Amino acid sequence: MKVHVDPEKCQGHTLCAMRAPDLFELSEIDGHSSAVADEIPVGREADASEAARSCPEQAISLS
Amino acid sequence: MSVQDLGDSARKAKRHHFDRHAPDYRDHFEEITEELHQKCPVAWTGTYGGHWVASGHQEVFEIARRADVLSNDNDVSGERRGYVGISIPAAQGQRYRGGFLEMDPPEQRHYRQALNPYMSPAAVARWTPVVDELVRASLDEKIETGSIDFVDELANIVPAVLTLAMMGLPLADWPVYCEPAHAGVYTPPDSPDMPRVREQSIEMSMRLYQAILEIREHPRPGLIDALIHATINGETPSDAEITGVLGLLIGGGFDTTTALTAHSLEYLSEHPGERERLSRERDTLLDSATEEFLRFYTPAPGDGRTISADCELAGTSFKEGERLWVSWAMANRDPKVFPEPNTIDLARTGNRHTSFGLGIHRCIGSNMARMTFKRMLLAVLDRMPGYVCDPAGAVHYPTIGVIQGMQHLPATFTPGPRLGPSLDETLEVLQRACDEQRLAEPVTRRHQDAEIGRPAE
Repeated sequence: MKVHVDPEKCQGHTLCAMRAPDLFELSEIDGHSSAVADEIPVGREADASEAARSCPEQAISLS
Repeated sequence: MSVQDLGDSARKAKRHHFDRHAPDYRDHFEEITEELHQKCPVAWTGTYGGHWVASGHQEVFEIARRADVLSNDNDVSGERRGYVGISIPAAQGQRYRGGFLEMDPPEQRHYRQALNPYMSPAAVARWTPVVDELVRASLDEKIETGSIDFVDELANIVPAVLTLAMMGLPLADWPVYCEPAHAGVYTPPDSPDMPRVREQSIEMSMRLYQAILEIREHPRPGLIDALIHATINGETPSDAEITGVLGLLIGGGFDTTTALTAHSLEYLSEHPGERERLSRERDTLLDSATEEFLRFYTPAPGDGRTISADCELAGTSFKEGERLWVSWAMANRDPKVFPEPNTIDLARTGNRHTSFGLGIHRCIGSNMARMTFKRMLLAVLDRMPGYVCDPAGAVHYPTIGVIQGMQHLPATFTPGPRLGPSLDETLEVLQRACDEQRLAEPVTRRHQDAEIGRPAE
């Protein structure tokens, strides 16, 4: 499963990192998110999906 | 009738009477929301000079992120297009804008960039030991009596002191800002109290203005320092502009966090089984419960916008200059996104609520709000696990058009032991810690958590 956070859409709500701090890291300056890695580790797919569903800006895409 | 009139009638065919400042609005909020969702998730209403109301989640999502066709501008000096900001009805006689919430890019972005390093998750986390001490001391003031007002004696105090600390203002001054901050919000626009409340607000603004001059003379780290040195559209902001920004940070930060905390504590008192479950399962439930309380209680229920260009959005034709109320509170009850929307589910998943707004104006204090709320909640669950709120003493704001808040929330509980020094002494200890450790520096300059030692016993 691949993950991408759209930096244009992300506004730093931080819900993704709340759900999966190992998958999403937040900028110390503005709390905006980026994926730790393009590929979601095996077994972490459910939390990745939940993080994407929780984003108020719908900034996270999974494929 | 001209073609223009016909066009207008057709555009505004989805009409609905909508007055969110009316006293009965709170009692009928759920019915009104359902009706708007079913009939017209974007509706035209004739109240307050006529404006659009967006209540459906999908519609709010499509609209709120369009900063290209929506303006937050409050053109107080009539230099631009005469737009009137984010309040509907527009606030009377404002001499300066409500900070960057009443600005558009690029200057809005410059302010955010100046303040982000003070408000990011990493920046806020450093303040946790300070918040814990404030909470400990506030509860200590009442812990032996067995009774407390969760608004006056906890939820009003902690956000206020923390905000002042982050600004670089003296912590002991918190009462000066607290009452005007709340009264300014719960007093209905046409109330006979409004002139006095406006007076208090003006006095608070003058205090802030003086504080800015003080900090220019005798620099101290914090948000005020950041604003004094910010470059906004190539210039440093005036003292009047900075005062407006501080007013926003106070207005945005005090009342909202208080409201969230009070409503949540009230709910948990009414649902002791849920309270017990939340306390027991806090490691897995605290985050989702916090987001659910945010969704259900939406302390800042919405914001006004001015359409800045004719456009088609969310199935509606908008014309430049028209006013629009974006209802976060109603979007948060949309059954298409939140199954059983009018029920609190502490374990709710997919909770993409709009309580901190959407788009470029996302609440800059959101990380602060979550942290202070969680620390207050956990301390209450630990030190007063069986507290009982008194429904007869609970005072909700008479109108919820601006903030959905509470004025009083008295409760009783089994008395317990004090854990440390008084609130006054704690404020002195914290003031010293702020000054010595320069706690209010931005996270880019100071990474460490605050260290709060207690005076030797």
